[in-house]
Parts: sequence; structure tokens; C-alpha cells
Amino acid sequence: MVLSLILSFQVVICRNEAEKCLIETSINSLRISLKVKQADELENILTKKFLRFLSMRAEAFQVLRRKPVQVCPFFGYDISFLITNYHCEEMQKHKLIDFIVQFMEDIDKEISELKLSMNTRGRLVATEFLKQFI
Amino acid sequence: MGEHVEAEAIITRIEHKSRKIESLIKQYKPIEALKTALEGSPPKTKDERCKSANWIVVHRALMAIKAVDLMFSSLDPEYYDILMKYLYRGLATGDRPTCEQCLKIHEKLTQKAGLGCILRALSDTVNTV
Repeated sequence: MVLSLILSFQVVICRNEAEKCLIETSINSLRISLKVKQADELENILTKKFLRFLSMRAEAFQVLRRKPVQVCPFFGYDISFLITNYHCEEMQKHKLIDFIVQFMEDIDKEISELKLSMNTRGRLVATEFLKQFI
Repeated sequence: MGEHVEAEAIITRIEHKSRKIESLIKQYKPIEALKTALEGSPPKTKDERCKSANWIVVHRALMAIKAVDLMFSSLDPEYYDILMKYLYRGLATGDRPTCEQCLKIHEKLTQKAGLGCILRALSDTVNTV
């Protein structure tokens, strides 16, 4: 309740129905939450596991938040960044922005590679397994 | 009570505007249509229906624009800030065609008007669209 008085502003920017970005500002920090595109169930699982892996190691990234923002019980974002005034004092703003953009691009690439390698492995395993029935 | 009457008057005005905009769009003048839609935007009113009604009209004009690159040669700078506010409203909808169009226009508008325009549009919490 008190939090809603402190959070001064929020904006949602959507690319389409599946990808959106929530930016919430407060007096000394801002929270950026992103929803990543998940085309199918496999990408859904890979994204969740991979982003959980990263978020658990949030200390290493400094600006990463341990838990993504949950808007309501049914809907939440996939990853959240928390940038405070301390971060802005220690680091350069444009570098922070570049970092976030690069981070998300790398995540996209990584998840595509994970999906590809998983499909390849699945195909190999299935082929080997079914060979015994030929 | 006075506000209610004012809101009705604004909505009637918006309906007049919407007819004019439809005819301009049919004449392949989408930028004129956008100017009409942005003119007399009711930022001072607190009534959500007026804002929604005006948004619908602006949205119609925005979606009718095909040549995004050329639109800024005929759009006056006084409209840039209010257009930016409407673009962010469009981006919040999540509807794919709207967001695509808004992103295209946003890119060109930022090139033309600069980052200050974005900041003015986002930080103005008093006059919202």
C-alpha cells in the first residue's frame, strides 16, 4: 500500500502480444521487467530454466533482480533489472543501457541454441533407440 | 455536474472530428487526418471516456499512414510532443499491428525530435492522453 505512493510512474512498451517491457520508476531507482517471446512449450521451459539460472546468480550481474516482477497471480514477467542511484554513480549510464541490450540479445541467442541442441539430441537419441526395432 | 456536461461536449466534438478524419483518410490524406486528430486533444480533461474517444480517433489516423518516412516533412513540430504521448499509449496496448506502426513512427519521430521529446512525453503526468 505504501509502495504505490512511492512508485511514481510506470510505462509498458509492447512489441506484440507476447513481448513486452515494463519500466517502473521511483525516487532513486528504476525497475525494468521484460517478457521474452516464447513460441512453443519447449521454449517456455528453456526460457524459464535458463533465466532462473541467471537470476539465482544475480549478484554477479549487480543490476539483475533475483526474481522477475509478478504483476498478478496469473501473469508475470520473465526477467527484471533493478538499477539504483548507486549503480548510476559507479557505472556510466550509456554503458548500463548497452549492457542490458546486449544481455537480452545474448539471452535470445542462447535460448535459440539451447532449443536447437535439444532438438538435435532428441533426434539422435530417438534414432538410436528405434534402431533396435528395425 | 459541470464537468459531466463539458465531457459530453468534448465527446461530441470528437465525433465531429472523427467524421472529418474518415473523409480525409478516404482522400488519401492520412497526415492531414493525423493533424486533425491531434488538434484540440483534451489533455486538460480528467474524464477517461474523452481520452479514450480521442485515442480511438488518433489510432485510426495513425494506422492509415503508409509512408512513415515522409510524414514528418508535412507535420509541424508543435504536434511532436502530443504525438509521442499517443505513441506510448499505442505501445502499451500490445496489439501487434498497432505496436508495429507505433514503433516505426517512434523511430522516425525520435530522429526528428530527439530524446527530449520522449522525456517530455513520459514525465508529464499532469497532461496525459
